[in-house]
Amino acid sequence: MTETGTMGLPYDLIIFYLFASIVVCASGMVIVARNPVHAVLFLVLTFFACAGLWILLEAEFLAITLVLVYVGAVMVLFLFVIMMLDINLAVMKEGFVRYLGIGTVIAVAMLGLMTAVLGPEHFGIDQVPAPARHGPDYSNTEALGRVLYTDYVYAFEIAAVILLVAIIAAILLGLRKPRNRKLQDAGTQAMVRKEDRLRIVKMDAEKGGHS
Amino acid sequence: MSTLSLSHFLILGAILFTLSFAGIFLNRKNLIVLLMCIELMLLAVNINFIAFSHFSGDMAGQVFVFFILTVAAAEAAIGLAILVVLFRNRDTINVAELDDLKG
Amino acid sequence: MNYLIAIPEIFILSMACIILLADAFFGRGRSGMAYGLSLVTLLLTLGFIVFFSPMITETAFHGLFVSDRLSELLKLFIVGVSFMVLVYSREYLAERNLFKGEFYVLVLLAVLGMMIMASAPNFLSMYLGLELLSLSQYAMVAMRRDSGVSAEAAMKFFVLGAIASGMLLYGMSLIYGVTGSLDLSTIHDVVAYSQPDKVVLVFALVFIVAGIAFKLGAAPFHMWAPDVYEGAPTAMTLFIGTAPKIAGFALAFRLLIDGLEGLVASWQQMLIILAVFSIGLGNVVAIAQTNIKRMLAYSGIAHMGYMVLGLIAGTADGYAASLFYTLVYAIMAAGAFGFILLHSRQGFESDQLDDMKGLARLNPWFGLVMLVLMFSMAGVPPFIGFWSKWFVLKEIIAAGYVWLAAIAVFFAIVGAFVYLRIIRLIYFDRAEEEVTAEASGELKLVLSLNGLVVLLLGIMPSFLLGVCLAVFH
Repeated sequence: MTETGTMGLPYDLIIFYLFASIVVCASGMVIVARNPVHAVLFLVLTFFACAGLWILLEAEFLAITLVLVYVGAVMVLFLFVIMMLDINLAVMKEGFVRYLGIGTVIAVAMLGLMTAVLGPEHFGIDQVPAPARHGPDYSNTEALGRVLYTDYVYAFEIAAVILLVAIIAAILLGLRKPRNRKLQDAGTQAMVRKEDRLRIVKMDAEKGGHS
Repeated sequence: MSTLSLSHFLILGAILFTLSFAGIFLNRKNLIVLLMCIELMLLAVNINFIAFSHFSGDMAGQVFVFFILTVAAAEAAIGLAILVVLFRNRDTINVAELDDLKG
Repeated sequence: MNYLIAIPEIFILSMACIILLADAFFGRGRSGMAYGLSLVTLLLTLGFIVFFSPMITETAFHGLFVSDRLSELLKLFIVGVSFMVLVYSREYLAERNLFKGEFYVLVLLAVLGMMIMASAPNFLSMYLGLELLSLSQYAMVAMRRDSGVSAEAAMKFFVLGAIASGMLLYGMSLIYGVTGSLDLSTIHDVVAYSQPDKVVLVFALVFIVAGIAFKLGAAPFHMWAPDVYEGAPTAMTLFIGTAPKIAGFALAFRLLIDGLEGLVASWQQMLIILAVFSIGLGNVVAIAQTNIKRMLAYSGIAHMGYMVLGLIAGTADGYAASLFYTLVYAIMAAGAFGFILLHSRQGFESDQLDDMKGLARLNPWFGLVMLVLMFSMAGVPPFIGFWSKWFVLKEIIAAGYVWLAAIAVFFAIVGAFVYLRIIRLIYFDRAEEEVTAEASGELKLVLSLNGLVVLLLGIMPSFLLGVCLAVFH
């Protein structure tokens, strides 16, 4: 990637900084946003920018998956729950400041340490050279699919079981029997036997006399 | 720093990881935002894996990310289900009010 | 490729699906069906583990599954302890309207997750097994939908568990980056024989050890354990507090020794911190508790500290002692929770220390069982808990950490007070109301067997220890 754009920077670096700054700003807003709906929307923006970065890393399939599955399904689920729960927004607007000082200090220290370990000294371009880009006929989806259903079929099956657990759990925790509605239960109706409803009382025939 | 290197992506991942951590520990008001911070944390991990996978030319990292995305979706579903149960019982999702269990 | 070695897993998954469907279609009014089928499934799985054992180390599914002596022993105990859990919890669940087919499906899938962890030679299968276990556990804790306390416990468990998974994954990603592989044996060779970037590896190790400590419930990453133990329905606490500890050993051993043995000097330091914190905090804070479930949570934290001691020794004998400790702890903890469940009734949890008063007078046999269990947990000779502590301490002294052994012994004596207090309550205090335990026959039978096993193991510890040693030699 030696083509240089404006300011002498290579194009891929410009793209990286563009998307990376969106990711950092948007994810910061996720944390500080007072309104949870805004937080979700900023998270969506984070995911979109991240998908852009993943395409820069030639992981096209995962980038599309991130947008389709994550933004399309998981984030919508978050929005549904927020709307459903009817949260008291006034309460949400308090607080946060109390721990902000010490939190920021710890976060900056942690980030400093991580940057020192992960910085150019250990993972710079001299230590890890950039790989050659794939040709135009390379398909990331095909390459992923090729190993997913062969080498990783065991993991694929376990992932299916994990989704099954999620389905069971969501139904188990979320499903409530309707309380105030009068519903017909066709199954019960069909299963009713004569003995359940009708009681035949044997009585002696009236003699007709007055007691 | 004038060429795009692996450490660019790793530092971005580290920033995201730290932000999500800060979010989890600073947030005292809203459990949903806490769940979103967990998503952010997994995103940081995913960036790491994809970056390593790209720079080493090995597919395993991308496969791992595929499964992390799957698990994270399942995790979000269960987390939100628990959140709904909690809200139905307590009428709040305020982190600071979750203090019935202490000792 | 030999798929036969995965037959136990395949069987348990198939049966979980069958039970799920059978319960959905024919389960109405027959809530005992899922229970019975689950017990049969677990028993058959035990048989399959023994029958399809390859006797040698063998891998399947392109290196994502391994069957070796360690995995088989762990699986036998995971399935066996889960069987006990199901028997103990039946009546408790039935009395609280939780006796549902879904619970049994979740338990079976959690067992599957633990079995996957036990035979995971790869980061990917380890992570997926761990998540399968964790997600099932979160759902179980939240199952009592009308209880705010349970929901709170589930939420705390979920959030802290998800953070732990995130940390574990972050560490895994860095190790993948440095070594270029997800396969634990490849990672082992790269770390041991090539010259990888040590700084980054140790940095990654911090995240991995923190994640493991979270999942084991070792201090200072134990915050979830007391709240979850107390808030969850006792039947779920019983499950969370026993079998997953065995899976936790698999997690720690596979990642730290199978994968990162080359970093032994670094993780020893971190584990020493965990062990000292866990043993100290667990034993001391347990004294202050009035709720037995919470007390057992702190006791569990302390026991995990002792378990970690064996790993610190860094020798095959040390790992065997650690494995022995984990297996013994799971059996003892199951019995202790079984005793609580024996006395709980509808509307009465029997989870306060005062509820234990005078139980031996009402029920001498189970008083005796609890006496054995508590002496064992306290580490009084000649009970099994003494031997498990003895073996661990012996190895740690042999490895040259005499001061660590001294700390461990000191806090073991402090912690013994907790268990002896329960014995005092059971034997020497008078009950406030005289109610005899009305438990099902199978609970009484299995709980008696549980007590007998603990007693017999205490008399003959060399058998199980021999098995544990054979795993690592």
